[in-house]
Amino acid sequence: MLLDVQNLSVFFNGERDKPVVDSISFSLERGRTMCLVGESGSGKTMTALSVTRLLPNNASLADTSKIVFDRGPEPSVDLNDASAETMRQFRGSDIAMIFQEPMTSLNPVLTIGDQLAEAIQHRWPELTENEINTKCRESLEKVRLDNVDERLNTYPHLLSGGQRQRVMIAMAIACEPKLLVADEPTTALDVSVQADILRLIQDLQSENGMGILFITHDLGVVAQIADTVAVMSRGQIVEKAPVRSVLKTPDHRYTQGLLDALPENLVATRSQESSPLQMPQEQLERSYIEIENLCVSFPIRSGFFRRTTGYVHALDNVSLKISRSDVVALVGESGSGKTTLGRTLLGLIAPHSGSIKLEGDDLLATKSDFPKNIRNRFQYIFQDPVSSLNPRLTIATTLIEPMGVHGIGENFDERVAIAEKLMGDLNLDEKSLWRLPYQFSGGQRQRIGIARALCVNPEFIVCDEITSALDVSVQSELLQLLLDLRESRDLTLLFISHDIGVIEYVSDYTAVMHRGEIVEFDETSMICHSPKQHYTQELLAAVPRVSALT
Amino acid sequence: MTSAGVTHTSDPGYTRLVLSRVLKHRGARFGLIWTGLLVLFSVFAPLFASSHPLLIVNEGGLSSPMLRYLSAVDVILLLLFIFAAVLILIRYAVGRVYWSVVLVTLLISVVQSFYSISPPKLVVYEQYRQDVQLLESQLVLMAPVPFSPKDYLRDAGDTGFLEPLESSISTHWLGTDENGADVLSRMIHASRIALGIGFVATGIAMFVGVIIGGLMGYFSGVVDVIGMRLVEIFEAVPTLFLLLTFVAFFDRNIYLLMVIIGITSWPGYARYVRAEYLRLREQEFVQAAVICDLPLWSILFRHILPNGIAPVLVAASFGVASAILAESTLSFLGLGLVDDPSWGQMLNQAVQSSSFYWWMAFFPGGAIFLTVFSYNLIGDALRDAIDPNSHKMS
Repeated sequence: MLLDVQNLSVFFNGERDKPVVDSISFSLERGRTMCLVGESGSGKTMTALSVTRLLPNNASLADTSKIVFDRGPEPSVDLNDASAETMRQFRGSDIAMIFQEPMTSLNPVLTIGDQLAEAIQHRWPELTENEINTKCRESLEKVRLDNVDERLNTYPHLLSGGQRQRVMIAMAIACEPKLLVADEPTTALDVSVQADILRLIQDLQSENGMGILFITHDLGVVAQIADTVAVMSRGQIVEKAPVRSVLKTPDHRYTQGLLDALPENLVATRSQESSPLQMPQEQLERSYIEIENLCVSFPIRSGFFRRTTGYVHALDNVSLKISRSDVVALVGESGSGKTTLGRTLLGLIAPHSGSIKLEGDDLLATKSDFPKNIRNRFQYIFQDPVSSLNPRLTIATTLIEPMGVHGIGENFDERVAIAEKLMGDLNLDEKSLWRLPYQFSGGQRQRIGIARALCVNPEFIVCDEITSALDVSVQSELLQLLLDLRESRDLTLLFISHDIGVIEYVSDYTAVMHRGEIVEFDETSMICHSPKQHYTQELLAAVPRVSALT
Repeated sequence: MTSAGVTHTSDPGYTRLVLSRVLKHRGARFGLIWTGLLVLFSVFAPLFASSHPLLIVNEGGLSSPMLRYLSAVDVILLLLFIFAAVLILIRYAVGRVYWSVVLVTLLISVVQSFYSISPPKLVVYEQYRQDVQLLESQLVLMAPVPFSPKDYLRDAGDTGFLEPLESSISTHWLGTDENGADVLSRMIHASRIALGIGFVATGIAMFVGVIIGGLMGYFSGVVDVIGMRLVEIFEAVPTLFLLLTFVAFFDRNIYLLMVIIGITSWPGYARYVRAEYLRLREQEFVQAAVICDLPLWSILFRHILPNGIAPVLVAASFGVASAILAESTLSFLGLGLVDDPSWGQMLNQAVQSSSFYWWMAFFPGGAIFLTVFSYNLIGDALRDAIDPNSHKMS
């Protein structure tokens, strides 16, 4: 047994009656992968941090907790009793950790080589500079980074997110650890990069036989990588079993709920309910919004006078037709131009060339600005529920001010009544109208974001990754709500997402974007089941799915 | 999750929320108390320290020489204070009504006072003391400090530089200055200048700085380039030397000093505001406001400003302090107001040729220190109070 955790409890500020991790036990063998899965706030990260003893200062472990770590030939130790000095020796050499955010976990002022060399030197102080150099190169080769010699002397900002995560893994495995703790290492990455990284981790594991404690919220990833799974909820492990039995025949109600909330499982329920579209051919002829050859480019400025020296083409000859009452999805990896397209439609970004027609009227015909009367017909729902609401304004103000501008409601009281009704429609408490945004949870805030978009009675809403910051159960609720609203208010939606499962559930049509171009546009079922373009096929293959588990 | 009263109340009053948080801060409470005392002293200065009796009762009936000698400024301050107090007491219904009433009273009182109030030019401070001694009047009610700031006690002989409580003829709690005037009385009257110069100068600077900085940050591009050059030009002006020049060419006018300090110190605020606006305009809630087609003023001042005001407020608390210090410096150099009392001018008198008059250094210096310190404490507490993130955890 490599790692044996018994009765692990973590609490904050000495509040023993309110533990965030509540006496959990699990064990991990060499060469095996254990996944801790759960929604945000379930205590999975705290568990990982207690194993590495990197808990925040105001958190502490219960005295009864045992974290027994087997050091192979040497005697095993209880990490709960280990002093800070011994822990420092274990970390990096015996226990390594990979973090979620590759953008911030590397030091921006040191080269990749320097950071790797430091970790290796800490592990084997007796090595000479040349030997360290060789080891650095070897570890970067192991994580399949190209141009290794060049990479050693570059700084982190020159690498993409996937490359940085590879460097992080290289640092973790360079010291040949026995235990690798990976805290959501692929959450911030695109699906194709995620697939590569997961494969890489598995290959490295089979090479040197380390045990992996893998923390994730994504059951698709679990299906791909785990040997055993522990499902966490509110600080407790509700179910712990081999991966197959958890995902195929879950015992606990909570696990079943998680599985049901997965978009890929929602799709099945929706297609049983109703087939959404009747006459696609006719609808395509009478298009509501017609985008033709839209180009958006951002100038690259350099030099003393900030002269324009070149352009980044964010959108390259994009053409798209959206029919009334359709849900059109835009799918693609980060940087593919999805958000740029959405914001250009709303007039937030001025296009370089091309046209946007609304029921035949060219919106860009007037040189200066978007026509004023368009603004209440188009709305936008943002990705981040934290930054999309003004933290200083009450929900009431946020909702009522746009109503006033667009002449909805005669006076303040009438607008308050409209806002209260809207809150009711979104399953929010009417009284919460007078609260400030920080008093709401992420899912509630996102519903307020929808309320803000709806308060001016728009016809067309761009939904920009609206569920990517939310847990799956919250996500399924929100998507259901959105589809209901679309029905009751006859909305046309442009749904931007990177998650194929969500898109399959929500949309009628899907446009696949890659490097500022639309590579494929078709009915969603066609895209998801028989994609024609090579890129779309690759993208679909990379999506981790629970159903892929055999 | 959060402090009591926040989650339970349905009152959207954000100002009240901030105020209650500020009041939890011990330092801020001290700062507010000291500032409140200064406000009281400056408004009611003639009631606290005046050679003119507040009330004389004799055979002819009641008379109040103090009222007769009130200057225009005294009257304006008193009227404003009374109106503000009344309005707060009756709980103003709507903000707009409140402010219009305040503005109207301000206008009326200014016009009124400048046309109708003309206190006697010639003031004979000694007359009351003589009257009292002659027992002509039956009952005389004097102010707690029975000396005007410019009453040099010519009837009492040489009274220059008396230590506190040294005089045998009359009680001077904090001693007298070189001309024989009562130091406590002068300090009470000088609190007006200290308060006024701090608030007005910083107010002007913040007003200009927020508008220019906000436009620079929000529009960026060409507006930003031009604005930054303007900022650099104004930053290059040495305030103290400009003040000295103006004092040399024009009257020694306190209002002129306020305006000059104000219009030379806005670039600092503009820089802070610009940086905040540059950051905030990319935020999604601002983008959402743009999409909802809200008017520009609302986006700039309702959606962005409250989120970016924190560093400006902290800077402003230091700004108030440095404005007070600038005036004190000027007065210390002997280039401040001629005869009117000011803390800096009193400090100036502390060291004369070879002697050191400790009370002239200790009391005005302490007052300057406490005031500057108070503003810093308040600024600090304000910054904490309006930061929504600092209250999530508690």
